[in-house]
Order: sequence, then structure tokens, then C-alpha cells
Amino acid sequence: MRKKLAAILAAALAITGCVQPGPVGSAGSASPPSASTAFPKEVLIGAVYPLTGSQAPTGLDLKNGIDLAVELINSGKTDFDLPLVKDGGGLKSLGGAKLKIVYGDSQADPQKGQSETERLITSEKVTAMLGAYNSAVTATASQAAERLGTPFVNPESSSPTLVTNGYKWFFRSTPDDSMFAENFFQFLDDAAKKFPGKVAKKVAILHTDDLFGSDVNKFSRQFAQQYGYEVATDAAYKANTPDLTSEIQRLKASGAGILIEASYLPDATLAIKGLKQQDVNFQGILGMDAGFVDTKFIPNVGKDAEGLISREVWAKDLAAKKPLVKQVNDLFKSRYGTDMNGTSARSFTGVFVLADAINRAVSLEPGKIQAALRKTDLKGAQIIMPWDGVSFDERGQNTKGRGIMVQVQKGEYVTVWPVDLASKELVWPVPEWSKR
Amino acid sequence: MRKRLALAGVALVLIGYPFVFGSATAINIGVLVMLFAMLGTAWNLLGGYAGQISFGHGVFFGLGAYTSTLLLRQFGLSPWAGMLAGAALAAAVAIVVGWPTFRLAGHYFAIATIVVGEITHTIVRNADALGGARGLSLPILPGSFLNYEFHEGRLPYYFVALGLYTVALLVTLEVERRRIGFYLRAIREDQTAAQSVGVSVLQYKLAAAALSAALAALGGTFYAQYVLFIDADSVFPLSLSILIALVPILGGAGHAIGPLLGAAVLIPLSELTRITFGGTGQGLDLVIYGGLIVIIAVLQPGGLVTLPRRLHSPVAPGRKGSA
Amino acid sequence: MDILAQSVTSGVLLGLILALSAAGLTLIWGVMDIVNFAHGDFLMLGMYGTFFAWSILGLDPLVALPGVVIALAAVGVVVYATIIRPVLRGSVLAQIFATFGLGILLRGLAQFFFSPAFRQVGETASSGIVAAGPVSVGREQVVAAAGALIVSLLLFAILDRTTLGTALRATAEDRTAAELMGIDSARMFALAWALGAGCVGAAGALLAIYFPIFPDVGATFGLLAFVTVALGGFGSVTGAVFAGILIGVVVNLAGVLVDPSYKFAIAYALYLVVLSIRPQGLLGRA
Repeated sequence: MRKKLAAILAAALAITGCVQPGPVGSAGSASPPSASTAFPKEVLIGAVYPLTGSQAPTGLDLKNGIDLAVELINSGKTDFDLPLVKDGGGLKSLGGAKLKIVYGDSQADPQKGQSETERLITSEKVTAMLGAYNSAVTATASQAAERLGTPFVNPESSSPTLVTNGYKWFFRSTPDDSMFAENFFQFLDDAAKKFPGKVAKKVAILHTDDLFGSDVNKFSRQFAQQYGYEVATDAAYKANTPDLTSEIQRLKASGAGILIEASYLPDATLAIKGLKQQDVNFQGILGMDAGFVDTKFIPNVGKDAEGLISREVWAKDLAAKKPLVKQVNDLFKSRYGTDMNGTSARSFTGVFVLADAINRAVSLEPGKIQAALRKTDLKGAQIIMPWDGVSFDERGQNTKGRGIMVQVQKGEYVTVWPVDLASKELVWPVPEWSKR
Repeated sequence: MRKRLALAGVALVLIGYPFVFGSATAINIGVLVMLFAMLGTAWNLLGGYAGQISFGHGVFFGLGAYTSTLLLRQFGLSPWAGMLAGAALAAAVAIVVGWPTFRLAGHYFAIATIVVGEITHTIVRNADALGGARGLSLPILPGSFLNYEFHEGRLPYYFVALGLYTVALLVTLEVERRRIGFYLRAIREDQTAAQSVGVSVLQYKLAAAALSAALAALGGTFYAQYVLFIDADSVFPLSLSILIALVPILGGAGHAIGPLLGAAVLIPLSELTRITFGGTGQGLDLVIYGGLIVIIAVLQPGGLVTLPRRLHSPVAPGRKGSA
Repeated sequence: MDILAQSVTSGVLLGLILALSAAGLTLIWGVMDIVNFAHGDFLMLGMYGTFFAWSILGLDPLVALPGVVIALAAVGVVVYATIIRPVLRGSVLAQIFATFGLGILLRGLAQFFFSPAFRQVGETASSGIVAAGPVSVGREQVVAAAGALIVSLLLFAILDRTTLGTALRATAEDRTAAELMGIDSARMFALAWALGAGCVGAAGALLAIYFPIFPDVGATFGLLAFVTVALGGFGSVTGAVFAGILIGVVVNLAGVLVDPSYKFAIAYALYLVVLSIRPQGLLGRA
């Protein structure tokens, strides 16, 4: 028995042992030099994401996007028309210093995300932060960065409240859910022009009961009224629910012609199958990103995904207008075996926003990076997003972002809105289940 | 005498800890250890001494967090006063919920506590008046003891948590010393026998539940002031309720010092595995955390408290039923 | 009216799956008074087993089912021998602690080996739609529910009609008396774990026909299984079946008639109501 106990103690010591002496694999490279004459070899960036737990699949997408961006920036590829990358690699103004990401796992928990942010900033001495996907985690993580005076770039959390705190160190490159909700109705108006009399004015909303889903519901209702649509019903459910039958029955009874849905992958799958099985038809199903654009959505749902529309921030057919998108996506696919998606494309872009600012700051001083972030002016051509560029207003919100709409056609996401970015014509209305 | 010396030693370690380990990670771990030692001590009164296993203590924790936060946001009431209000409300809820559920035996009771927790979680998540899924941010006030907020480093939070733990421990020691402690243990060992010798079982269970709930609510307010943001998913979830129970179970349920031992092992284990291996994104942290829990349970089924006893007598003790 | 018919039908189908996953739990619980907090994670293993049998070997989930049952039964015996038997000498609390740790471990292993990605079994022999009058449901769900009913009945027959089952029930009833009659309780416990885990494996295989698979999937069904078991009465397989159907129907009716946000909360409240009238569950021993 004593032997066994000794074994436990040894194991426990082994764990604490490899934490105490210093960050794993960063021997002697952690702190930036105080004198501005010497260039740092490495610039440490903290990144807090849900890497384990129920949101780990998304965490993996985010991590892949970041890792690829760092690889490109560090190695440099002259044939890629991305800032820093085409100039031969590393942060030019800092003597070609390389980026290094130190990850923290939030497990999608606001408290853990906050303490990981504090750890990365104070113990790992990171220069700036990226994170944190889940809006509730971003709320607490950005608050910690604010307190510690560290620049925090948030590439992908879409809750509108995040930029209303008056924070000075917080910068969000993605558009938020209120803009995305408005996109739905602008899209429907445009569709109504193209298919007169075929676009219903009655919508139903199916959404998760968490922050994401209830924000989508709130803002969809707000814009529905503004654009002259009627919300016939809304049904909230808990993510990963085992069953959606009664929700679908409610949607059916409402008589709505269009469905707006905010769901994660398991629920999105369950909903599509349920709609088909119970033969509930809509002119169009408008998904709110998340589960509907997960890399596994089309493989999992199969041909029933055909015709489905989702708002997105990225699609690989944007390559038709922007060859850079194909270059990056091909590289991504060769590394990780799947296409990029809106999530990985946004975290990829977040790295560039931050690296560009550090490069222009010509310093690792937080205040200078913050000032450089304020003056960010990336052009539309310099990023892989369909945005007009990246530049921040006084709240730290990127004002040049915009959403797109994709539709599943022949097993692929194709861009159908806005018209200037569309690669294919919108199919409307989608055929009834029984006629497919 | 030896007990007092041991207590003094523990006190010295707890007070000295943040001065020896001063990094942000170490302080955060220290804060969480004290918080969960405190919550575990609260749970212990009902689960350890009275033998009523609850997987619903998140309800009381959440009530504490929401009560003080809402009072602060709506009326600017000091969180210290809000904390007491939360404790009172939690105690009242414990009595109202305990009245019908304490009739249930063993696992039926445990499942009932889970169910009550899930219902509460659902209601808060969908109640717009309580912030709904959006959660509640606490106003950032100048850091001071009076405001219950500290921004220059997290050290003061550690001592507040240590203070709350001390309160919970003193309550427990007092209960142990008094007649109620004796009766609670009698109820745990054999409820029917206790009843037959005239112990008012329901009354004592309710008293234990009220005390336990009030202490857990103090922890909830502390959490809200520490993180400055609460939502239903972070203060009401089942996983939190289970963690509150696991801490004293690991340390030794029914022993005053058990929850502290449990928290001192479980919390660093969880934090350090996540910090060390979580960044890989491969679930290794969960493998090691879960694996070590299983190993500890298999080697030390009576809780860590029984460790010294077993080291003295290497022969494994016989089956010890306490449920 | 159509909506009600649809809801009740779907509720019964969901309920039968809940019943099967709960049956395995209630068996272990009844025989040795142990709460297996890793129960949902056993279900997850069963689902992954089925998925890989489909994706790698090209087996239909229904064909893979017996293999998955045997594999999970083996897992059950191994878990019993390595983890449960040692903690039996501790209190009931140690058992909670051990199985809870096991659940975390299994989830971590699943993420490590299978990646956190969501998987889904594609078109199978069970794919399609079954429609009757106003009611229209997926053939997947019908097949899964029918399978669950058959496996539950089989389990019931084993417990009720075989000598092994009698010995198992005797151990559940009174361990000491059973041992005096010459029944080896350690072997009975191992058998309970094999049968219990096998049932969960079957539930996992059937669920995998239509439900997405990911490392945390057990959390969704594990909690429902606990409530189902307690509502039905610990140790009662028949009780678990009734309770499963009752919960399935109540969840769906509450979703249509009250508010989908509260449909599970209402089913949980039902547990409190039933237990306040019958503290031993629907069919439990008093």
C-alpha cells in the first residue's frame, strides 16, 4: 500500500514539477528585452479558447486557424499577398522576430477563461491576447486584460454587448450578432425583389436558450419589425437536447414561411432530420452560422442539407473574387484535412490584425501596441475575409466587417448574397421534402 | 492539545501560502482552494454529518451570487450586506425544499437534489428579469474592502476567502461540539434508531440544511465579486454542484478538516492538469485529472483524512459503511 | 389534435430509448446499490463503437449491435474488477467519487483518441420515414425504439426466467442470505456490470443510428437516465421502462402545450411530484 501511495505522490509531484520551473518549451525566451536596442527573438501571444469539453470541436477549428496564420507569418511566403508574409517572414520592424502562441484552455467557463488570461499575462508574460470565442468567456477574459493593461484582440465573439463596456484595450475584428440579424432581413428583401410574391413575411425562430441563441432571437425580432416582417413564433431549447419534436411541432403550427435558426451542430442536425421526418416545409431555412457551417455539417446531414442557407463571414468560393482565399484554404486543407470555415478564417484573421499592429508599434510595449491597434487600417485585399477591411472605432469594434449568405448547393457552401460577392444564383424556395 | 497544535499549523500554512507562492496562477489556485474548501465545509454539514447527500448545492451558491449582485446593481447595496441577504434567502429556500424532500431515502433524495438544481438552472437561464442567458456584469468600483472588489492583484481575495472558510470551519466545529452534531451523526448512522429514541429527525435535518445552504450562499457572493460576471451556466450548473460534493468526499466526509484536504488536492489537480495539458486541445488534461481521481478513490476509499491512520497501520481497515 | 398525436408518438419513441439506457443503470443500482456516474459515458463508448463499426467496417448499426453489446459488457466487467471492487470497502461516497472520475477519464480518452469532432452515422438500412395518418416520424427512431423494447424485454426475461437471473435478484434482495445459499456475490456483481453495461451498449448502438456522436454526448442522456431510474424505482427494470415512456411523453407534451424552454424542467418537476406521493418511485420496493 505504501508503494502505491508513493506512486501517487510521485505522479502529483511530476505534474507540479513540470509547471513550477517555467513555461513548457520556452526556455529563456519568455520576457521581452527592456532595452529597445535588442530585438526579441520571439513575441509571445496568449490565446484562450475552449480546447476541451463540449465546445472542443470549435476550439480545434480556432486553434488550427491561429496555428496556420502563425506558421505563415513566421516562415514567410512571397507568393502569398498577406501583410508580413509576403515580406519574407517574421515581424520585420522587430528584426524578424517570430510569433509564438501560448494557449490557455477555458473549457468554455468564464471563471477559467479569466484566470487563464491572468496567468498568460502575468506568468507567461505574453505581449497581447487573443480570445475567447464564447461571448461569456470573452466578457471576463477581456475584463482581466483591461485590468492588467494588455491588448486583447477578439476575432470571433459576436455578442453585441462586448464592446459596450468602455474598455480601452479591447478590439473586436468580427461583426456582431445584431449586424448578422439585420443581414437576414436585408437578404430576404433582396430575395423578394428577385422572386416577387414568393418570399413570405412570416418568420419563425428556433434558437438555443444560451447567450448566442437568445441574442439572435432578440435582434431578429427587432429587425423583423423594422423591415416589416412578422415573427409568428419562437422556440428556445437547451443545446445538445436529445429531442426537438415539440419545438418543430410549434414551428409547424405557426404557419411561418421562413425559419431562422441558431443552433450548434448536434441540434442543427437533429432539427433538419426532424423537419424532414415530420414533413415540415419552409420556403427557406436561414441558419445563424455555428452548427450550420461546422465542417461536419454537410458530411453529417448529407443530401438533406441541400438548399439550406446560412449567414457566414467566410466561404471558400470567395476565391472566385479573391485568389488569396484559395491559396490559404488549400494550405489549410493540406495541414488539417478539412476546408477552412468562418470560425477558423476569423481566428486566422485575428492573428494578422494583432501581428500587423505589433509590427507597426515597433515595440512590445502594451501602450504602443494599443495605439497601433487604434490606427489599424487593413484593406479588404489584405485579408481573407469578405470585409472592406479592418479598422476600429472608439469602442474597439471593427467598422468594416460585413456578413455574407451561403447556400448549400450540390454539397458545397456557395456564396449567394450580397450580389457583388455571390458566386452562384440563389435557389428559392427550396423544394418540399416530399418532392426531393 | 495535539488537535490545537495541528490547527495552528494549518493556519500558519494557509496564511503563509500566498507569501511563498506569489504568482497569479498560485494566488488564483489558492483562492479557488479556499472557496471550495468553504463550499465543501458547507456541504459537509448536511452531506457528511447528517448523511444527506446533496448534488444540488449549486442552487444555494447561485442564490447567493444572484441575490447580492442584483441588490448591488438595483439598489447599490453593499455586497457585504447582499451576502447576508443571500445567505438568509438560501437558508429559507433550503427549508422550503427540504421539508418535502427529506422524506426521501438515500439515492431518491440525491436525485431529487439534482432535479431541483436543474429546474432552478432552467428558470434562471430563461428569466429576462435576472439577466437571462446574457448574465449579469458587476459594476467595477474602486478597489477596497468596503466595496468587496480588489483590482491591484488578487491577494486580498485570498484573505477574504480564507476568512469565509474560517467562518465555515468554526460553525462546523461548534456543531460538532454541541448536541446537534451528535444527533446529526446519529441520523446518518441509523435514522430509524435515532427517531425511536426521540430525536426529531426532520427538525435537525432542516437545521443542517439551512446552515449548509447559508454558508454555500456566502461562497456564491464571493464568486460574483471575484469574477465580476455571473450567468446561470457558471453559478447553477450540475457540474458545480457535483464538484462541491466531491471536495469533501475526497477529503473525508464527516470530518471537519476533510473539505480543506479535498480542496487542497482536487483544485490544484484540476487547474494544473488544465494549465499543463489543456493547451494541447487533445483532452489529455481530462485523462490525467479523471485518472488520478479514480486512483485516489481506489487507494483511499475512506477519504484523505484516513491517510495518517492507514500509514500507522498498513493493514487495510475493514468495510466502513456510512450511508 | 394532430399535434398531440405526433407529440405522444415521438415521446414514446424517445422514452423507449431512455428506458433502455436506464435499464442498465437500474440493474447495477439494484444489485449492488452503486451509483455509476460514468453511465452516460458508457453510452458514449457504445455510440463510438457503433460509429467506427459503420465507418471502418461498413457495418449497419443493427448488425454491429451484438458486437457492441459484448464489447461494452467486457468494459463493464473490467471496470468492476479494477475500480468498483476495491472501492466497495469504502463508503457509498467513495463509489460516487470513483465512478465520477471514471466518467471524466472516459471523456478525456474519447477526445484524445477520437478527436472532439462531431460524428454521425450516415444512411443506413433504417433510414426513411414512417407515416400513419397525421403522424410522421423517422424510421430511424422507430427502429431504435423497437430495438430498445426488444432488448429491454430480453433483459427482463433473463432476470425473471433464468437461474442466473434468480441468483442475481436474490443477491439484490439480500446479499448475506444469498451468500448463505451458495451464491457467489462477487460473481453476481460482475454479471450485473456485464449486463448493465451491455444494455447501455445496446442503447448506444441504437441511438447512434440517428443521434450525433461526440465525447460529451453522455452528459445529455446520463442525467435523464438517472431521473428515469429513480422515477421508476431503483432496481426495477419494468419501472424504468414505464418511467422512460412517461418522461418522453411528458417532455414532448410540455414542449407543445407549455413552453419548449421548460420541457425538461417540467419532466423533472414530475419526478418531485410522483416521489412526494410514492417515495420509492413508481415500481420500486418500499
